[in-house]
Amino acid sequence: MSKPAAPLSRKMLLKRAGVIGVVAPRKGAAADAAPEDGLDLHVCLTAEGRVLAFNGHVDLGTGIRTALAQMVAEELDFPFDAVEMVLGDTAETPDQGPTIASETIQVTSIAIRIAATQIRARLITLAAAALSCGEDEIALSEGVISRKGETAPAIALDTLLANERILLPLAESAQFKQVDQHKLVGRSVARVDIPAKVTGSFAYVHDVRVPGMLHGRVVRPPYAGMDAGDFVGRSLISVDRDSIADVPGVRAVVVEGDFIGIVAEREEWAAEAALKLKAHWRDFTAPDLSDLGQALRTHPSTPRLLAEEGDVDAALENLETRLDRTYVWPYHLHGSIGPSCAVADVREGGITVWTGSQNPYPLQNDLAVLTGLPKERIDVIRFEAAGCYGRNCADDVVADAVLLARAVGAPVRVQLTREQEHLWEPKGAAQLIDIKGGLGPGGSLKAYDFHTWYPSNAAPTLALLLTGRIPNQPATLRMGDRTALPSYNYETMRLTAYDMPPIVRASWLRGVSAMPNVFAHESYIDELAHEAGVDPVEFRLRHINDERAAELTRATAERANWQPHVGPRMEQDGEVLRGRGFAQARYVHGSWPGVGAAWAAWVADVAVNRTTGEVTVNRVTVGQDTGMMVNPAGVTHQIHGNVLQSTSRVLREEVTFSQTTAVASRDWGSYPVLTFPELPAIDVMLMDRQHLPPMGAGESASVPSAAAIVNAVFDATGVRFRELPLTPERVLAGLNGTKLLKPPPHEPAKRLPWWSKLGAAVAGAASFAAVSLAFAPSIAPIARPDPSTWSAATIERGRQLAALGACATCHTGKDGVPYAGGLALPTPFGTVTTTNITPDPETGIGNWSYAAFERAMRAGIHRDGRQLYPAFPYPSFAKASEADLQALYAFLMSQPAVRQGNEPSRLTFPFNLRPLMAGWNMLFNRAGELKPDPTRSAAWNRGRYLVDGLGHCGACHTPRNALGAEKGGSAYLTGGEAEGWQAPALTRLSAGPIPWSEAQLYAYLKTGTSQHHGAAAGPMAPVIAELRELPDADIRAMATYLASLNEPLAAAEAEALAAHIEQQTARAANPAISPAARLYEGACAACHETGRAAPLFNAGPALGLSSKLHAATPANLVNMLLEGGQHGIGSMPSFATALDDRQLVELAAYLRGRFAPGKPGWEGIEAAVARARKAGK
Amino acid sequence: MRATRRFALRVNGASHEVEGEAQTPLLFFLRNDLALNSPKFGCGLGECGACTVLIDGRAARACALPVRLAAEREIVTLEGLGSVEAPHPLQQAFIDAQAAQCGYCIAGMVMTAKAFLGVRPAPSETEVREALRHNLCRCGTHVEIVKAVMLAAERGRQDAATS
Repeated sequence: MSKPAAPLSRKMLLKRAGVIGVVAPRKGAAADAAPEDGLDLHVCLTAEGRVLAFNGHVDLGTGIRTALAQMVAEELDFPFDAVEMVLGDTAETPDQGPTIASETIQVTSIAIRIAATQIRARLITLAAAALSCGEDEIALSEGVISRKGETAPAIALDTLLANERILLPLAESAQFKQVDQHKLVGRSVARVDIPAKVTGSFAYVHDVRVPGMLHGRVVRPPYAGMDAGDFVGRSLISVDRDSIADVPGVRAVVVEGDFIGIVAEREEWAAEAALKLKAHWRDFTAPDLSDLGQALRTHPSTPRLLAEEGDVDAALENLETRLDRTYVWPYHLHGSIGPSCAVADVREGGITVWTGSQNPYPLQNDLAVLTGLPKERIDVIRFEAAGCYGRNCADDVVADAVLLARAVGAPVRVQLTREQEHLWEPKGAAQLIDIKGGLGPGGSLKAYDFHTWYPSNAAPTLALLLTGRIPNQPATLRMGDRTALPSYNYETMRLTAYDMPPIVRASWLRGVSAMPNVFAHESYIDELAHEAGVDPVEFRLRHINDERAAELTRATAERANWQPHVGPRMEQDGEVLRGRGFAQARYVHGSWPGVGAAWAAWVADVAVNRTTGEVTVNRVTVGQDTGMMVNPAGVTHQIHGNVLQSTSRVLREEVTFSQTTAVASRDWGSYPVLTFPELPAIDVMLMDRQHLPPMGAGESASVPSAAAIVNAVFDATGVRFRELPLTPERVLAGLNGTKLLKPPPHEPAKRLPWWSKLGAAVAGAASFAAVSLAFAPSIAPIARPDPSTWSAATIERGRQLAALGACATCHTGKDGVPYAGGLALPTPFGTVTTTNITPDPETGIGNWSYAAFERAMRAGIHRDGRQLYPAFPYPSFAKASEADLQALYAFLMSQPAVRQGNEPSRLTFPFNLRPLMAGWNMLFNRAGELKPDPTRSAAWNRGRYLVDGLGHCGACHTPRNALGAEKGGSAYLTGGEAEGWQAPALTRLSAGPIPWSEAQLYAYLKTGTSQHHGAAAGPMAPVIAELRELPDADIRAMATYLASLNEPLAAAEAEALAAHIEQQTARAANPAISPAARLYEGACAACHETGRAAPLFNAGPALGLSSKLHAATPANLVNMLLEGGQHGIGSMPSFATALDDRQLVELAAYLRGRFAPGKPGWEGIEAAVARARKAGK
Repeated sequence: MRATRRFALRVNGASHEVEGEAQTPLLFFLRNDLALNSPKFGCGLGECGACTVLIDGRAARACALPVRLAAEREIVTLEGLGSVEAPHPLQQAFIDAQAAQCGYCIAGMVMTAKAFLGVRPAPSETEVREALRHNLCRCGTHVEIVKAVMLAAERGRQDAATS
């Protein structure tokens, strides 16, 4: 397709001269409207040779834009490149309903094909008149008008059309070209969108930027993924706007009913505010979906008889073999790779929205209901979005954007998060199918009593429900009947659909209810074949009721070299059992009895691992009868997509649920999809049916997937599965003849925090302290010293020491000014809030003399004589040299003075009595300056000075006694606690599998990551960041000293051990055969298991060596998962919003078992998760 | 008040300065400050790979990479490889293999493949699949994507042989 110099709109075309257009009255337009307001254009040819064709459907990444252009060019006899397709835009295109049911080529293309033939005919008439000859003497080819038999143009288009303005009414029908005349249709054409997509110049709706645009995020209610019930739209109690007071650039918090949205100037601010905003909600009751089949059976429903032939009940009583079967299909996600996004601009005159919706016209109606504006004043502009296979959140996010744009009076772009898209997208509905029937004499099909339960409605646009614009009571969509009719001649038959409202938000997903219905039909016929003792393909062919289906079945079986057989073959190949299965169906969609699309048939080859239960689909031979194919390459591409997506659905996918949030699948870990290594080989066979009408090809090849795979697993194992997905645990349970047990609903453990056990010790402290009350004298204030009295070198040295002491880490509030204090430090004895140490005379330390500063550093006494709490690690600082304290003083006094008052600390009794700390000091603060050890190297002594002095490593890494003092002797640096994190032992008691070496210590202190131990996280991360300011020699000295407390292995030995551990914990030795293992694969492995992948810039450390996984408690791992981590060379995102408590517990247990195989499993993971969640709130 | 900093970003050979907080993911700056559309927001968790760019030749998940870590390094996005008029050989291979449906994941696929072929110019198909294991595609374009990467590798070998 050529790139037009300038876009031509429908209105421009309808107003200008030099055109032939085909028009029809525009839906809803006034009878006396001007042409540009009252007419739809279907195809328009301009004097410059541009062809614009308008279709109300949209391209979902399926190549429709290319195929439609081929059809127009074909009928018009213009070059393919001349045709510009305009798709799904309410101002431009005709209203042809939502893009669903693979009907664009089959149904909605007809108008533009007719229009193209009309324009072609008129063009020839005009040319004949201009050239004064008969119409039969004119030839039109590739857009060139010539006399028959000549190749030179007889008349130029611009001459012919110069002053014409011809608008032809759209004819009802037309004679299309015969297949043998086709030059373009039926030929594989490269898709027009791909060059731009693979070079980054294609604009998706996510890439729309309009002037003055702000960024929005929404905060969804806790009843995740539920859109019906009294609580919907009525659950919000309050919103605490102060909770985001510290987020910059917030322009509005919009609250209406249960709708909450935030608008900010920058996207990251909107995202942060949405995460932090505290809202209080009423409780709700999540549906119990732990037994999906039972939940569907008992949900209120209305039976609807679809068809009844003969006396089924009598036939059921007179069967030779009775076979009653139940099939259960899980909820699935569309799983668009890009969460939905939209931009809205709300002005006085009307609304413009930019959207990836599949349904521009229904969306326009929704926005009219939402805003009260007439829909003519709402312009819906469609851009491509991430692939969607039914109805995702694309419409929801438009309504969200409109509410936010209206509130701020500026265009707003709203991007949903991954978690929101997963939780709230209208799911592909679960389904329950019962079949009663069996065999009569001679393997005859006596009876078929088919019942199908399908809980879905149209998933109304969410904002309409959340704001209360539409009632929150569930509607019911009669959509469970797709392809309910089997393709075999059953002698008696009854088909019943049970229409029911949704249980969780659900609508339609590729294949809709046809995929589950065919799973049942085609599994059941396979079971009957087995019972009849006939080859499954042969049995089908005996009973099939449609000749095209029979031909496709024969051709596909032949292509796959199908070997007729009876019963499961259970072909054994070591650990693996191999089998193949067949299934076929014609996808029938639309209201019952529906419209048939393409026919498809599958032969699936599978391998089943007997030990692990893993099912691999090795090969799929898929035949399809699409009727006429416009772009065979495009059809093949669609078939590949259908095969891979449906294989993923059958093997891996199911939405999980929890008691607390309804939907529990919030990321790709908890909803794993098929990945590259699992691809089956695909052999596509296209039936040659170019002389027959085209059939929709977008969904058909998905439809037989589940039965073909399940039938193949039966052939391999002799076990039949009637519930999906075929996860390893389900298959293993089936092979072992056990029932798959779902985990019980998760209840968070309630445990007391550990420090609650300290009560006795605290009481003891009170009695001891009572006898040692003491006050220190105040030291007189001075005028703030002039920084110029110190040399630059001294101040620089002080800056490094401040970094070593990580002064700013504690003396800076969250998101605050460095050194101005305000950080709340939780301790077992209460909360200590750090103070302002900038040189502000009133709120900081500007009026402190050096003597006062030194006394504070060494003795923990404030200038005014108050005792300081040992959260300020003066017992360590006391070991610093006079020169270093002088330099530190110089540095702090040279900093900008910040006036910021200090928050009082809130300690529990008796620790809130400051004078008691004097007694504490008598007991525990006895060290003076460190004396060098002459038997050790200078580096060792330097290292010890840094570690024990200003570095105050022991403050966290040495355990403390009941009174909060560091323990001495053998406890030195053997591990302590800080801010809910375990500070690991720095000695030979270190938990990691490889002892610390000097080289690894150096790497860790320098970069935040040690290859053999993992990454700094939690309170250690800012310490590493500060250490970057230190001279390299000091870092080396600290490593030298700390290494002396360990027993390092020789470098080669350590490397060998690391390699051994990596091998032991590698994927091959640990197949993903549990939900937790798949969670790890989807959520963690991309960064933490990079050995065979592309080299990754910010890879995470190898988990088999991580000290977090080898630690005695899960605290650090759980903290890391919830908080994420920022360290020297990388970062880990927080999984707090992606994983729920049960998933975190399961993941932690799995990681411990896999990556620390020699260590006992952790106790109390639930408590650790609960504690970390609470701390994060 | 929040501490913002200026970060020097070198992207596709051009120097830019952006202002923001050190921990803000690189992706926001590439998309919103530099108007580079190819890196896509997919999950924000480093799980899907749609945001992949190259940093110093290695694949980086821009949604989970703080801007401070990308500053003063060589960043390359899909736009930096080539254009519709003059596609990079790897992009040409993706065009020839028709390796996109919706295309939302495709920038991440191309950039991951670029990093991979940089260290493994003659991979087996199994190795290509393994390398792309953590890049998710939902449309099911995997077959065409693997074909594109193999095609690019093969052409690279031919070029190396003839030059």
